[in-house]
Amino acid sequence: MQERTKTALVIGGGPAGMEAALRISQAGFNAVLVEKGPDLGGTLRDLHSSFPKWENPRGLIDHRIELLRKSPRVSIRTQTVITAGTRLDAGFRVRLKSLRGEGEELMDADAVVLATGFELMDVSIYGEYGYGIYPGVVTSLEFESRLRQWDHGQEEKPRGVALIQCVGSRDRSKGKPYCSKICCMYTAKQAGLVKDQFPEAQVYVFYMDYRAAGKEYEEFVRQVIEEKHVRYVRGRPAKVLPEDGRLLVRAEDTLMGIPVEAAVDVVVLASAIVPRPDTRMLAGMFCARTDEHGFIENELHEPARCADRVFFAGGCGFAVETAGALSQGAAAAAGVIALFNENG
Amino acid sequence: MDPDYHTPIRLERIDSPLKRELKELFSIDVDTCLECGKCSGGCSNAHVFDYTPRKIVQLVKLGAEETLLKMDALWICLSCQICLDRCPSGIDIPRILDHLREKARRKGIPASRPAVGLFHELMLGQIRKTGRISEIGLMLRFAAATGRYGKDAGLGIRMFLKGKLNPISAAVKKVKEVRRLYDHTADGKKA
Repeated sequence: MQERTKTALVIGGGPAGMEAALRISQAGFNAVLVEKGPDLGGTLRDLHSSFPKWENPRGLIDHRIELLRKSPRVSIRTQTVITAGTRLDAGFRVRLKSLRGEGEELMDADAVVLATGFELMDVSIYGEYGYGIYPGVVTSLEFESRLRQWDHGQEEKPRGVALIQCVGSRDRSKGKPYCSKICCMYTAKQAGLVKDQFPEAQVYVFYMDYRAAGKEYEEFVRQVIEEKHVRYVRGRPAKVLPEDGRLLVRAEDTLMGIPVEAAVDVVVLASAIVPRPDTRMLAGMFCARTDEHGFIENELHEPARCADRVFFAGGCGFAVETAGALSQGAAAAAGVIALFNENG
Repeated sequence: MDPDYHTPIRLERIDSPLKRELKELFSIDVDTCLECGKCSGGCSNAHVFDYTPRKIVQLVKLGAEETLLKMDALWICLSCQICLDRCPSGIDIPRILDHLREKARRKGIPASRPAVGLFHELMLGQIRKTGRISEIGLMLRFAAATGRYGKDAGLGIRMFLKGKLNPISAAVKKVKEVRRLYDHTADGKKA
């Protein structure tokens, strides 16, 4: 008797979810890729370029979208959310709701991949940085679109840009105790891009220590400092003040123990990375655990698995760069494929 | 950055001609500094320096040339080269200090340790005259100029007994060539 083809539900259409859906389909199983937003690509879609290669990430996204669209075993559901999920004997019955108001539908999934991504912590609680008060103060994700606008010659050219690392990260008092892992790298990337576009601009990165743990990462940061001439100032700024229509960033140069100030036009806050708020609800729906911050926890010594028949990948587990998200997507797919092949 | 702690340093106004100079003259790029402090950790004299080697590199970045030309470390550095040997980026800090000493001298900024300045002067004068250093001659001259005869006498005798000091020191054959070298490098001035 021919068994019906098993189906995995992949929640989240970022790089991790796309990669998982793609691999599952390539192994001969069905994948339903559900994305809340109108497009696939996730946060990566909003980025100007990638590190450590300075590439436009759209190529990576478009390539996968093309493969997913071509696959007869992949069903892409954008602008769709999960409203309910119940565990069956061997799988789940899940309720999908279209945000375009076409009602709800039920589907049975033999496995689930959670890939709901991340977002940035709300940094307006830091009055000292004036986010939400001074228009020149932006989050790192907002700055990515500013970089794209500058590419197109829009907006006024900056004379000075200050990028502040660890805003909310490594802050046990008001923020998160953890290191958000990718900010050192994307901040270096953003600082380097400003220098590429405006070589005359003064660009500062305020840091405590830069963490460049990855292949070619250290070299990348050194290139930004030594060849693109971005000034790295060791110290965590404590004030952003308006001054003659510009912004004054105040910190201590902790290498010399002296107070320093820099007048700039744009202040970029590398805000702490947090899971999306709906992650906890979705994890609960599929019996997966989340930690105190809302990130999905994996089962002990089980890569990419967080519950029976449930896998996860990407930023919903913890802050991760694109390459890592893709690897995790592939790992989650491997888990699903192994499970399906086991006849489970 | 002459320590004026009442006004913070304005980073956008920093200009470091010294940084450019070091790059052009000696291909020393202080931006390659990793701020690890291994130079200072190895430095033989860091415990008595007003600015440790790491801070000296940082001062170059901050364009604090005046502070650098006046600092005490400039004259108590032994030029032992440990900082350079230890530096993971290969920053030639002894060369930076050499450059600064020359610059201080050219600008007429007195050495923070007059005796050290004097010693440099006597030594260079002697080489100019004979083409080499005579330790005994130099020590005697230094003692005469500072009036501190007793200070190194014991050490001198011990060194002599161990054959470390040569009482006979003839001038090199081509002293004129040495002098020409002096005239060529010392901006035409007498060293």
